[in-house]
Amino acid sequence: MAFNFNWSPLTADERFYERARDLLTTALNKSPKPPIIVDDIFVTEFNLGSVPPDLEILEIGDLAEDRFRGIFKMCYSGDAFLTLKTRVQANPLNTYLSAKPSFTSPQPLAAASSLTIPLQITLSEIKLSAFIIVVFSKQKGLTLVFRNDPLESLKVSSTFDSIQFVRDYLQRTIEVKLRDLMMDELPAIIHRLSLQLWCPDQVLKEGDESKEESDPVQNPLGSPPLDAIDASGHLLDPTEISSLSLDGGPGTQSLFSQKSIIQLTSLNGSNHTSCLFTRELHNSMLRAWAGPSDRVDASPTPPLATPSLSRPPSYYGSTHTYTFSDIGSQDTGLLTSRPSSVNLSHATAGLSLGSGRHHKAGRKKKTRVVNLRRKTGSEVSSEAGEAVSDSTSVQGPMSEPAMPTSLLEVPREDEMAVLAGSGPSRVRFRGSSDIAQPTPMQSADTPIVSPNSRDVPITSQLPLRLPQDAGDRGKAVETREPILVDSKSQRSRGGPQSDTSSVILEQAWIMKMAGEIARRVYDEKNRNPAFWEDRDDTPPPAYEAR
Amino acid sequence: MREFMHYITNAFYGATEWNEDNTYKELNATARELIDFPLPLGLRVNLASLATPHFATSYQLGTVGIVDGSISYLYSSVALRGVAAQSDRIPLPALLRSFRRLHDLGSRGDEAAPNAGGPGASASHAVSIDTDGGVGLAPTHVGGNKVTGRDRDKSSLLYGRLYLPQSLLEGLVVKRFSPVLQVQLSAVSEQSLRNGGTLLGLIQYDKGKFGVEGLASTDGGLLGVRGLYNLGGDASSPGATPTACSTNESSSSSSGQSGERERIYGRFSVGGEVYYGTLNKSGGMSLGARFATLPAHRGTPLTAALTINPLMGNINATYAILAKEYCSMATRMEFNVYSYESDWAVGMELWSNRRPAGFLLGVDPNRQREEVAQKLAKTNERSFQAKMEWRLDGPEPTTAAEEAKVPAGQDTPGVTKEEEYLGVLKARLDQNLRIGLLWEGRVKSLIFSLGTGVDLHKLDEPFRSLGLEIQYSS
Repeated sequence: MAFNFNWSPLTADERFYERARDLLTTALNKSPKPPIIVDDIFVTEFNLGSVPPDLEILEIGDLAEDRFRGIFKMCYSGDAFLTLKTRVQANPLNTYLSAKPSFTSPQPLAAASSLTIPLQITLSEIKLSAFIIVVFSKQKGLTLVFRNDPLESLKVSSTFDSIQFVRDYLQRTIEVKLRDLMMDELPAIIHRLSLQLWCPDQVLKEGDESKEESDPVQNPLGSPPLDAIDASGHLLDPTEISSLSLDGGPGTQSLFSQKSIIQLTSLNGSNHTSCLFTRELHNSMLRAWAGPSDRVDASPTPPLATPSLSRPPSYYGSTHTYTFSDIGSQDTGLLTSRPSSVNLSHATAGLSLGSGRHHKAGRKKKTRVVNLRRKTGSEVSSEAGEAVSDSTSVQGPMSEPAMPTSLLEVPREDEMAVLAGSGPSRVRFRGSSDIAQPTPMQSADTPIVSPNSRDVPITSQLPLRLPQDAGDRGKAVETREPILVDSKSQRSRGGPQSDTSSVILEQAWIMKMAGEIARRVYDEKNRNPAFWEDRDDTPPPAYEAR
Repeated sequence: MREFMHYITNAFYGATEWNEDNTYKELNATARELIDFPLPLGLRVNLASLATPHFATSYQLGTVGIVDGSISYLYSSVALRGVAAQSDRIPLPALLRSFRRLHDLGSRGDEAAPNAGGPGASASHAVSIDTDGGVGLAPTHVGGNKVTGRDRDKSSLLYGRLYLPQSLLEGLVVKRFSPVLQVQLSAVSEQSLRNGGTLLGLIQYDKGKFGVEGLASTDGGLLGVRGLYNLGGDASSPGATPTACSTNESSSSSSGQSGERERIYGRFSVGGEVYYGTLNKSGGMSLGARFATLPAHRGTPLTAALTINPLMGNINATYAILAKEYCSMATRMEFNVYSYESDWAVGMELWSNRRPAGFLLGVDPNRQREEVAQKLAKTNERSFQAKMEWRLDGPEPTTAAEEAKVPAGQDTPGVTKEEEYLGVLKARLDQNLRIGLLWEGRVKSLIFSLGTGVDLHKLDEPFRSLGLEIQYSS
């Protein structure tokens, strides 16, 4: 698995710096300033430099087309710099008096007269080392949180460099300030920036621009048959992207989300009012009704509960991994709250909500994961011989709590695609290796806990799911549906410790799936090699299968 | 408008013959008050009372979106008898006038010196600070009682004020130890302050010819010294005070004494201040000089002050002039030789003897006009007789005449004389084209103050602030 971080494209867009400067300026002037600063703080120069930070992936908790969650270790010692300009009060008596009650003021006549001095501060040679939690969601933008104090050192040079005392004071003060900024303000800034990039409809000024872009594109899309719009929309994606990729990748991603969100908002509004006119939504389908063929496009406009809907695959896709992940999270203590809460929501959703949703989400998730894996894998293989590092990086996180659910499935299908025959055995091997990797305590716990937790999902979901499968699935779905059921039931029957070999039927289905996946991956790779764009533009598998 | 408690404190200083202006802090007070007068904000109502000659209370209620208020009490060991505390009798200039005349120097040193008009005169200065021409008025009302030496030398004043709902407590203790030595302790207690409050101690030594102050603050361990030295004018000659007094007396009686003070007659003062914060290791200093005409001067009264802060490179020059009796103006220019920043501001005040909104309030304008006409006639007659002697003593004869009629008592000529001024308009303009307008006056027995701030840079929304303050005292 490889992530391609483009450092220079950030700098290539000159409007990026403009925006970043504005955001930094507003952020710096937001909080009340000490009396010594008598003017607004302006960010005059800001450059990220040419040296990218070193990122080490520690853990990937969630990975999908439209969202991502992971923990990185970042080390940075580059040539980024930042120049601030402001005016400071040079008379200490003036600042002394400004915060004091006037009643006890000594009321100096002219000793407190002000002398303001323009001050320019340049921060450079910034050295950072931090653990970063990145949560990306196309709807909510990018959230970046530092787990620890990221600032190691920096160099502060100012107008007062010749005065030792002032320089030391500035260095000290700014380091403290910057730590606050990094911990508190920077996440907010990045979030706002990302909203402007990915969710222009949440930022008004940005939304207007991209709306103009999207409308001419959307109209030709609207002319094809109504029922096929989703699929056709994605059919047209490559051409759109080829035409729109000139003005930046992220812009294209906003095309669909913006439009449909506006429509959904109007629909929602019509429900809240007594308006008799219900807006017709041309380009969207309700998730609950949508067949699996339509499901891929649901990603731009999911409700807030997306995570809980998307999690289930890990749940019944492979039960043993689920229990394992639970234990692992409890033992390691990392992200404990998240898996547990997710589990709860799974259980309730699986029991109370319609199984069609559940099932669909699960399927969707599964294919998505497979997609990514395949894509990245193929990219890796095509790009350079980084496959080794990739595999190691994958192996590492496997022991992490939140990950294994998706990871376990992914390699399995990878293997299926490549070596069809030995697929199932690989699965077992992976599973056992996973269990073997954690500490002895964890592996000892697994058998004890797994039966209990396995009972709930199987009994509740399987009966519900089967009629649904038989009922309203399209052809393409039916072909694949049994596999999942089979593999799942087989797996749940066998459990992680079962030594029974795979069924021949399953192998055949796996072969079929693998072929489809390989074909799709190939298409996508041809279409757009960029990683982040890939995630959005994956064509619906159903369409590909047709 | 000076607050009632400020007025009473001034009355205390007057009664104890303490010259509060003989300090470096007040070097450019005239121009400062003409330019930097405070604008009321929101609605504010003051109820005050000098309940007994020793005790005064004041309640204030204000609202600027939120309602707040304050309660204050004042105790004076010296009986403040005869101080016009009723809001319908308070001399308006004492409350409102910005232009300050210099006080006599060293009047406290010699007890017996000006028996005739001396103590009374100085008292009237202090209380009705700027009653023009009131300098030489005969034994008077406002400062009222003469305090005997012993009482005066041991006099003290206690003042406390509690702001609600901020729970901010102010306290002030003024204690006189000797005729030339006075100690002030002021304290503020509030939760948000570091250590819960601050304390400022001030030792004032006023020898007439020079005044020295030492101060110490608990906040940052600030220590400071400032001093003022007077030279020229009445301070130069040893018999300065009697001369001034006699001049005053002669002019007030308008005896037509020949103008030996034809040339400009005033007093030079130079001073300086030094501060050092022992805890934060920072300090500051400034030097200043002032020339101000003495009341005996027959020309236009003026005050010019120059302060220099050599550390910060700041030069500040102010000039204030009492152009007419009803009009005074001031300008201020600032320049910083290090940062080349400059600033200017002008301020003025215009007194009016017209009743504010007289028609609406049902005052008979004719009567008023008659009175004025009568006064004017008298004045004209007088000044025609004593022509070119002292251009400012126009109203003097009137008061003198009235004084002769009315026995010196509570209802005094001073008050009557000042009654002709019923309102004052103050205005200022600074470099940023911000205008401050303040209209103060008396309606019946209420003293009001209506002010607004105008920003000429934002003409679409010019009024930055608006406020009305009403004071009633009894």
